[in-house]
Amino acid sequence: MMKSKNLLLTISFVLFSLVLVACSGGDETTSSKESEGKSDADGKTTLHIAALESAYGSDMWTKITDAYEAANENVEIELTIEKNLEEIVRPNMQAGEYPDVFLLATGRPEALTETLIKEDGLENITDIFDKNVYGEDVTVSDKLLEGFTDTLATNPYGEGDTYLAPMFYSPTGLFYNAGLLEEKGWEVPTTWEEMWELGDLAAEEGISLFTYPTTGYFDTVVGSMLYASGGTDFYNHTMTYEDGVWESEEATRVLETIAKLADYTHPNTVANANPNDFTKNQQLVLDNEALFMPNGTWVVGEMAEAPRAENFEWGMMPIPAFEDGEDRYAFTFFEQIWIPAAASNKDAAEDFITFMYSDEAVSIFLESGAIQPVQGITDLLEGENKMYYSIYDEGVLPAMGTFASTEPVPGVSMGDTLYGAIDSVMSGNLSYEDWQKNIEEASDKLRPAMN
Amino acid sequence: MVNKKWSRRFFIGVCITPALLLLTLFMVVPTVQVFRMSLYSWGGFSNNQEFVGLNNFILLWDDMNFIRSFQNSIVLIVFVALATIIIALFFAYLLTNAKVKGSSFFRIIFYIPNILSIVVIAGIFSAIYDPESGLLNNVFGMFSLENLEQKWLGNQKIVIYSVAGALVWQAIGYYMVMYMSSMASVPKSYYEAASLEGAGKMRQFFSITLPLIWTNIRTTLTFYIISTINLSFLLVEAMTGGGPDGSTEVFLSYMYDQAYTNSTFGYGMAIGVVVFIFSFVLAAIVNRITKRDVLEY
Repeated sequence: MMKSKNLLLTISFVLFSLVLVACSGGDETTSSKESEGKSDADGKTTLHIAALESAYGSDMWTKITDAYEAANENVEIELTIEKNLEEIVRPNMQAGEYPDVFLLATGRPEALTETLIKEDGLENITDIFDKNVYGEDVTVSDKLLEGFTDTLATNPYGEGDTYLAPMFYSPTGLFYNAGLLEEKGWEVPTTWEEMWELGDLAAEEGISLFTYPTTGYFDTVVGSMLYASGGTDFYNHTMTYEDGVWESEEATRVLETIAKLADYTHPNTVANANPNDFTKNQQLVLDNEALFMPNGTWVVGEMAEAPRAENFEWGMMPIPAFEDGEDRYAFTFFEQIWIPAAASNKDAAEDFITFMYSDEAVSIFLESGAIQPVQGITDLLEGENKMYYSIYDEGVLPAMGTFASTEPVPGVSMGDTLYGAIDSVMSGNLSYEDWQKNIEEASDKLRPAMN
Repeated sequence: MVNKKWSRRFFIGVCITPALLLLTLFMVVPTVQVFRMSLYSWGGFSNNQEFVGLNNFILLWDDMNFIRSFQNSIVLIVFVALATIIIALFFAYLLTNAKVKGSSFFRIIFYIPNILSIVVIAGIFSAIYDPESGLLNNVFGMFSLENLEQKWLGNQKIVIYSVAGALVWQAIGYYMVMYMSSMASVPKSYYEAASLEGAGKMRQFFSITLPLIWTNIRTTLTFYIISTINLSFLLVEAMTGGGPDGSTEVFLSYMYDQAYTNSTFGYGMAIGVVVFIFSFVLAAIVNRITKRDVLEY
């Protein structure tokens, strides 16, 4: 009797201490990691880099890590590179363990970058641009192409301070089958008027003028159109939720044009415009069933294995102008690199970011097709890429930017209201007047929350 | 004697402690956390959690997108439960009582969808619903029923039923097997007696089978509610992304959207609380109104 009781006591004691160990263990490791983060025994700083594995693959990041470790002996890099980066790092971050550098763009469905922007969780990195590129005698800002650090995509709070540095960029526009247009003897349209004419011509041959992968791709279309309709200032007014801006003539022109596009859109588009089937919409262009779709240069790689019509050849054009002779814009999409405010090795992180613009890093990234906005980059490009990236050499203006950051507003999403609703506009369930009203309402709700 | 009683209690205590601890750690604490966070305005990362009382719930009341996602969820729960129960009962009755050749083969076939991952099901159904090359539209075309052809995932009026169709398809096998097992334990002599009295198959089903497996059906009703709420989220995320324009958004996908994409974690948790209470209350109501005397045989 006594024995079994002792045994039970021992078991319960062991169990209890196990639970205690399990609970306290977590704390111990974090605290040891933190101290380790500063510098370990041999004086090396461990820099934790978290990068999204995108279409460019993960190889280039391993190479960059090796290159930087070779260049800077004081740093040891711990690399997290994942396709679902947010899901991997979020739990650690909520527990207080932050990576030191992030390569993660805004505009991802998980919106981790946006969340940190909204919560003032990014480090101000304005001074990085006056620093020399690691291992070189040029400052970062001398290396960068002009205009890339002047938009809300890098300065989310609208002031002069920069919180995100531009990394891989890609011009976007309307992609089409150049071979088909040549074969039919159709001119590439430059204005919306010409676009509608081509649409009627193509309809006679059973080809739709337009399709889109998902409504998310309209962010670049709407952006370019806003720029074309009202210029840079007007664009910035829309992005900072100025009162009544969506009811202005310029905005109406944009929304009306998109609503008119509904008549020329391939009938299957809305049914396929979801994360599972969007490639079917892209396939419509490859199969000569639709002429144009908004996309970025990544689509070439994305559809590389897909079957296609004879004589298929990718072409890309900027969004058409509203009137003959008016400006045309092609939106530039770029990914961002940034430092969380809670990072433990901020100085080492800043050095690492300057290294991203070194000749060595640029060429490593370039090998994998990732192109950075640095001086002279277009000279290094070959083939199709040269064609896409030289779009701005022919008088087309670059458009850049995004909506100003706001405090989180429950239930209000500009993305859903402005872009998501396009499915309903296309299917005829939402008139452009109601659409316009909804956008203005969302804009009204976000304005007071700007930070 | 007292000592013995005490040691018995002690033994029980020790035995259930691990389970209790785990339950508290992984169920009770997170649930309480959800309830607590629903009273805060918080983006998810920073330390500035602002207490806002019931404000998140007041906002929910006016959020038309939330109400639409709620409606969609209710449509799915009702439609999926009704359709699955009817079809699963029908096939279970057929396979146990009618002498179908190769009934165990059919049982396996029906069960297969249940072991497929929901992402695979999304892939299968996006192929079935394809407007151009899809199975469904082609079958209608074959029988010259072109007017029945639809953009199954594009027409916003019917797309929620397209999602429901996929959910029913994957659920039938599981519930059919459950019903079959309880139907098999109904003594054959009852059916023999009934048929001697002149009762047809239909009469036998409604007067013998249904009442005798009623307890089983009641249990599955709760399963329908829970599994539809969970699976509809997974399927919607994988298949339609909540689109077109939010017309297949269910409350869990809307909660996810708000908690993460829109950086309003507290608001998302408020939706979580509503879902939690809703599913409990619904399950309780269903349980109450389906209560019958248990028949023993």
